[in-house]
Amino acid sequence: MEDFLVGLAPPLIKGILLGGLYVVIALGLSLVFGVMKLINVAHGDLVILGSYFAWAIMGWLGIDPFLSLVMGVPLFFVLGFFVQKFIINRTFRISLDAALIACFGISIIVQSLCQAIWTPFNRSLTTAYRLQTFAVGSLTIQLRYLLDFIGGLAVMIALREFLRRTYLGRAISAASQNEPVAERMGINPNRVYSFAFAIAMACAAVAGVLQGLTFSFHPVSGPPFLIISFGVIIIGGLGSMAGTFIGGMIFGLTQTLGAYFSGGSMLVQSIAPYLLVFAVLSLRPQGIFGR
Amino acid sequence: MAVRDKMKIPRLTTLTSIAVLVVLALFPVIGIPLNWLNYLFLFFIYLALANMWNLLAGYTGLICLCPHAFVGLAGYTLAIGTWVGVPFQAGLIAGAAVAALFALLISYPVFRMKGIYFAIGTLILPEALKAWFSFWRPVGNEYQGMGAGYSVKGVAGVTLGDTYWLALAIAAASIFLVHIILRARLGLGLTAIRDNENTAASSGVNIFRLKLSSFLIAAFIMGLAGAAYFIFSPRINPVGGFNISWLLLPLMATVIGGEGVEEGPIIGAAVVTFLRFLLADYGAWSLLIQGIILVVVVVVMPQGIAGLLRQVGAYRFPLRLLQAAEGKIPKNLK
Amino acid sequence: MAVQVLCDTIPRSRKVTMSETAVLSVDRVNKRFGGILALQDLSFEVQAGEVLGLMGPNGAGKTTLLNIIAGTYSPSSGRVNFCGRDITGLPAHKVCHLGIARTYQIPQPFTSLSARQNILVATKYGGKKAAGMEHDKIFDLVNLSEQKDTLARDLATVSLKRLELARALASNPTLILLDEIAAGSTDAELPRILGIIEEIRKMGKTVVLVEHVMKVMVEAVDRIIVIDKGEKIAEGTPGEVMKDEKVIAAYFG
Repeated sequence: MEDFLVGLAPPLIKGILLGGLYVVIALGLSLVFGVMKLINVAHGDLVILGSYFAWAIMGWLGIDPFLSLVMGVPLFFVLGFFVQKFIINRTFRISLDAALIACFGISIIVQSLCQAIWTPFNRSLTTAYRLQTFAVGSLTIQLRYLLDFIGGLAVMIALREFLRRTYLGRAISAASQNEPVAERMGINPNRVYSFAFAIAMACAAVAGVLQGLTFSFHPVSGPPFLIISFGVIIIGGLGSMAGTFIGGMIFGLTQTLGAYFSGGSMLVQSIAPYLLVFAVLSLRPQGIFGR
Repeated sequence: MAVRDKMKIPRLTTLTSIAVLVVLALFPVIGIPLNWLNYLFLFFIYLALANMWNLLAGYTGLICLCPHAFVGLAGYTLAIGTWVGVPFQAGLIAGAAVAALFALLISYPVFRMKGIYFAIGTLILPEALKAWFSFWRPVGNEYQGMGAGYSVKGVAGVTLGDTYWLALAIAAASIFLVHIILRARLGLGLTAIRDNENTAASSGVNIFRLKLSSFLIAAFIMGLAGAAYFIFSPRINPVGGFNISWLLLPLMATVIGGEGVEEGPIIGAAVVTFLRFLLADYGAWSLLIQGIILVVVVVVMPQGIAGLLRQVGAYRFPLRLLQAAEGKIPKNLK
Repeated sequence: MAVQVLCDTIPRSRKVTMSETAVLSVDRVNKRFGGILALQDLSFEVQAGEVLGLMGPNGAGKTTLLNIIAGTYSPSSGRVNFCGRDITGLPAHKVCHLGIARTYQIPQPFTSLSARQNILVATKYGGKKAAGMEHDKIFDLVNLSEQKDTLARDLATVSLKRLELARALASNPTLILLDEIAAGSTDAELPRILGIIEEIRKMGKTVVLVEHVMKVMVEAVDRIIVIDKGEKIAEGTPGEVMKDEKVIAAYFG
């Protein structure tokens, strides 16, 4: 029994740490969904775009991917702002289906852009510290997973403080709860949407760096992350930061424990998250913590 | 009006359709260049897919993001079948049947999901299948890295003409099916579901059963089209079989052509095929441009070309011509 | 006698206890939405061929009750019996086939279909009794004959309300649930509405009527049930109910 628990510790820890990455990815999706009731199906691809951007800057300027965020975050912010303003806001006037289709179009654009510029082959952000590990007691922890966890906490806290303390943040919160009331208070919903999407994109840039350090990636790596982050917000519940964090942990654990109990099967690792999301969607479509 | 009350198809429409069909069928025989036949083949496949996607999204209101699940499953069934002695002709039908069976299996959980949940739920399926087929290797033992592919055996004797006729038959069947459904009780029920599910239910429409009918028909035809494609291009791997292009193509065709109208997918599939022809040499950039076109069209022209034509009244003249030919002279002409 | 004719297509279950003359019996129905108890221990019967009024202040739970009878919701506890058969929890389309139809307070038409096609859905899908319903007669009754071929999305709200009624009638129901069909009507139109309800009664149908317009409520119905905050607080003839202290308190207190 003791051996069983001891053997369980590494994948348990790794799963929890990995959860941080999924939290960062999910936060962007959650923000857009909460404010606009839109699932941006391009979200996963935008995270991968973030990974590619960091990779490109690394190759071009030789700087650390975290440092490249100094350029990446503002760039993605502006990009997101204009995408929402000129494309998605316009589709809202037509129908929600049109918005979904537009997001799908963006997904295709991003995927093919990455493929055209950077070829279909696998990449990863190979920094000096990427493969570094360190020991805590008898356990070996991989640095990049720890970074994921710290990143998850950091982005989550930063976002929460932003939504609570800044005027824009409170406007976004108001709009996500009750749009007509917000509008009467003088908040322009379209403006709010543009900023919300911009922030989501900025989160995607950060997520991209973390993702690129954790896994290797290629142009079509996006959709799995979309599905996982959708699962995170369904399980975690919308509007609950704690819930999102728990959701992220659950998916991290699904992968690591799945790999552990199946003897390292790549098949199980890939499919387990999908089955989990599918099961939650079909059994409790409104989510586990939903109304 | 998308839904017609009467079941009778006007004789003129039948005659014109048969004439067009005959002409198209003669193409391989009368010496049309192979390159054209190639693109016409693709047009027919895209048309079948678009018609089915339109049946689901345009008429039933189901934005289904899993056509590539049906296409890939049918293709793999066909391919693996040929490795265990099932000839490709039977594999074609078997593939479509497997796709429909898959649709049946997932229908109960999937129809519990509404709106966006349904969209994402259906998106999960091809991704999961792609992962599955990347690792599952039931027959054969050549590995090509991660792209566990299969060739389709026994199709050496199949000419372009043969696959052309197969695709033409499938496309014609898809048009005929949609035509019939729209004029039958099923079409009325599907439109009712699309417009207002609650009212449909309280008027006696069995929502689940009708959605299932639509879903099964679409899965079967999409499977048929997919398997036909892999007879034409007899090599399948997870990335190719479950490629997002199989979703993009019918979606683009429906958006560009016009959703919820019969001629929409035909126009859309033609445009999409033409685009593929124009952009054939540009590799990944081709897909990029198609994505841009999709976004532009959905923002600027969401009703599609057919919708635009209807708004502008472009059909009024040919319609009057048609009515006159059938003996119904409109009041203000005589 | 009337009940026999109306309900003989539905087999009576021996386990169901309801009056011989009743068409519908709501038996201790509770409905909970999250933490809110929308309906509380509600029980009443609807007699065959009667017009029963359902009254109550806004938010009392009237529409929720209609939704439960029609099968759109299931009750959290309690039973609904129709013609001697337990229909609790049956899906809406099955309830329609058994012979219950309803209108919606805010019209919910099939927007891309014409008025005629709207009621065609009910005729084609409403079950065996609905087959062969004559559309023209229905359109004449609700005064919508001139707009038979207009698309629902092009109809004015007044016409849409009439379409709601037409569609409910088209499935040839035994019991018809009307949700505020007189709302928004001018005084001049009220006699026509009263006439329609009378015609429906003459067809041998049973009616449950939710209404805020007092004139319609008082003149069209045989009995009234008053609900407040999900509970039944009064039951009786219009005269009796209007003088009931609890009713007055609920509306003005």
